[in-house]
Amino acid sequence: MNVKNFRIDTLYGILIVILLLPFMNSNINFRHVMVIFLIFAGLGEAWNIITGFAGQTSFGHAAFFGIGAYTSTILFYKFGISPWIGMLAGAVLATVISVIVSYPCFRLKGHYFAIATLAVAEIIKQLFISWDYVEGATGISIPIVEESVTSMQFHSSKIPYFLIAYVLFLITTMTARYIENNKMGFYLKAIRESHEAAEALGIDTTRYKLYAMMVSAALTATFGTLYAQYILYIDPFMVFTLEVSMKIVLLSVLGGLGNIYGPIIGAAILIPLSEYTRVYLGGTGKGIDLMIFGALIIFVACFEPNGILGLLKKKRSRRRGDVYARADA
Amino acid sequence: MRKIGPVLLVLVLVLTTALSGCGQNQSQPDKTDGVIKIGAILPLTGPASATGVKLKYAIETAQELINGEHPEIDLELAKTAGLPNLKGAKVEFIFADHQANPEVAKSEAERLIQNEKVAALIGCYHSSATKPASQVAERFGIPFVAGSSSSAALTERGLKWFTRIAPHDGMETKLFFDYLKYLNEKYNAGIRKIAVVYIDNEYGVHAFQMVEKEIQNYKADGFELVADVKYPANVSNVDTEVQKIKAAAPDAIFHASYIGDMTMFVKKYKEMNVVPKVVLSYCGGYQDPQFVKNLGKDADYFAGPNATTSALFEKMPVLAKINEIYKAKAGVDIDGPTLEDFASAMVIAEAINRAGSTDPAKVLEVLKNHEFAAPYFVSGKIKFGEDGQNVYSASVMTQIQNGVYEAVWPETSQTKEPIPAFPAWDKR
Repeated sequence: MNVKNFRIDTLYGILIVILLLPFMNSNINFRHVMVIFLIFAGLGEAWNIITGFAGQTSFGHAAFFGIGAYTSTILFYKFGISPWIGMLAGAVLATVISVIVSYPCFRLKGHYFAIATLAVAEIIKQLFISWDYVEGATGISIPIVEESVTSMQFHSSKIPYFLIAYVLFLITTMTARYIENNKMGFYLKAIRESHEAAEALGIDTTRYKLYAMMVSAALTATFGTLYAQYILYIDPFMVFTLEVSMKIVLLSVLGGLGNIYGPIIGAAILIPLSEYTRVYLGGTGKGIDLMIFGALIIFVACFEPNGILGLLKKKRSRRRGDVYARADA
Repeated sequence: MRKIGPVLLVLVLVLTTALSGCGQNQSQPDKTDGVIKIGAILPLTGPASATGVKLKYAIETAQELINGEHPEIDLELAKTAGLPNLKGAKVEFIFADHQANPEVAKSEAERLIQNEKVAALIGCYHSSATKPASQVAERFGIPFVAGSSSSAALTERGLKWFTRIAPHDGMETKLFFDYLKYLNEKYNAGIRKIAVVYIDNEYGVHAFQMVEKEIQNYKADGFELVADVKYPANVSNVDTEVQKIKAAAPDAIFHASYIGDMTMFVKKYKEMNVVPKVVLSYCGGYQDPQFVKNLGKDADYFAGPNATTSALFEKMPVLAKINEIYKAKAGVDIDGPTLEDFASAMVIAEAINRAGSTDPAKVLEVLKNHEFAAPYFVSGKIKFGEDGQNVYSASVMTQIQNGVYEAVWPETSQTKEPIPAFPAWDKR
């Protein structure tokens, strides 16, 4: 059997396992973990497109996440428009803003680009904190209405939220996969490996980086909408925070950068770990959960900077030579 | 299978670990006989963890009073061991950490209700965490008693299952104006011009909105707003803010600040010689005993409402006894927000006892209709209105005099008379 078939099987296998898990356990906390896991795995996939494939490190994805959350919330809160339409509007708005923000930022390279994205996200956060129309720092409690698909509010079960998260995650992963295996993916990887060499080959680097950013921003925003509808409360400190940006970076790097499995593995470890260490140890008030969490990240960073996936690949390449491992990097 | 193997293995391993953990939790036998569980969601880690841990001690103090026999304390539940109407059932508070994150507060509320089978919830200190957590309680039909969350918005949502002990910032604002009126009338303080200084988060912004609203009712008393100064949450220098305040030369400054920024402002007031007549602070930095530790003599003459102060212990024997138990755990005297969370624990236990069961509807009925005795508060009692707000303001106006939080108003609970003027900074 050839390598490509194996990879497809693996992906489908993972997707089916994820889909079945919440139906095997009706525990509300477990289902919550699954929803958050899918949201962050999806955010990692979206982020991976611009950072993993194109090599443009963004520390500001919370901005797009927040825009998605706020757009749908404002449309619903002020005008009673369905969050589904809000989700699309948020994605469009995030795309537009990503172009406005990234175009000048793409003149910067490496660390400078990363710092610029960080700064832009902070600026947007400050804007929302002092913007009265969106209720500023006080945040918005989304009005609770009867549960329905149209209102994207489900009070009796978490399964509908899980399914929406699953579909969004699926769309994001498939988009990332499609990009990875097509012309655009090769262009992006060429840009990542050497900007100058890519340009010398005739790739319009700015245009492709922009495309990647637009797709990434739009997908990130859709998760923002779902998150807002799930928690039913948002404020700028919650959705525009550096913590969200960092969590996305952390889990993708932990799993393995530039590969569609990376964010899934990273989120599958990081999200349950942070949830369950808190559930079992958080009540002590000693912060033990966060210490364990931090120690694990340091451990992975020290011993395997390429992420868990890098670790797996290394093992495999040791068994059968280095050729395959490089090929699907 | 070589390719699928490792990836799937990691995924399945991690998730099954999670699964087994949950299973354990869920299959926990329903141990309601003899033990009544109540969930307490607090900021045990994160920026407010120091406060969160103190709140935990206060709730543990309440648990000790309820479950043990303390005939020397004049509180209904302290005298007997456990809840007398439930055959002496013990109360167990299950603590959860919300890390100052609304998402975590929501998921912890769900977990406590569904997995731990708690009969009620208390918490969460941060209003932004109390909002989603109390929505969960509403959805499941479980009583939620908030202790120290002060945003007025919480009781404006029309929730059926939500009650709150602390006065909200709207009530505090009214208290501020009434106190200034009192100073003007009794001491001829001549206070007219008011400046508001506030942090740009939900707490600060909402406090300012309340001042804007409330000042309309006090126009006849001559009060006017001369400056409103908003500063960012992670401020590191307040030069421009203090210059603005100085230029407006207010008689009274209202502060909605936390301990770090409040300390910074006071130092800058001293440096730039800003001398108002009165500085009043919303529940926040001023109420933290650290304020006096940080500033020493410079903390004198600042004022603000507080649910309690150690100067009151002498006047209130029940409070003094509660403080004894609390202090043995926490190492410091009980303070305002801490006492409010203590009260929330006592109130929910008393409501369950009076209802004679953990049936949420019965407990809610007691919460909504009964007047609870609260001899540890200056007001002496707690009664929830239609919207769930405690109608008796649990606060007394305090002023720091010689490093001690003295109760200065209302006169009935006065430990010292108020001083409606700031001496020059170099004459202290």
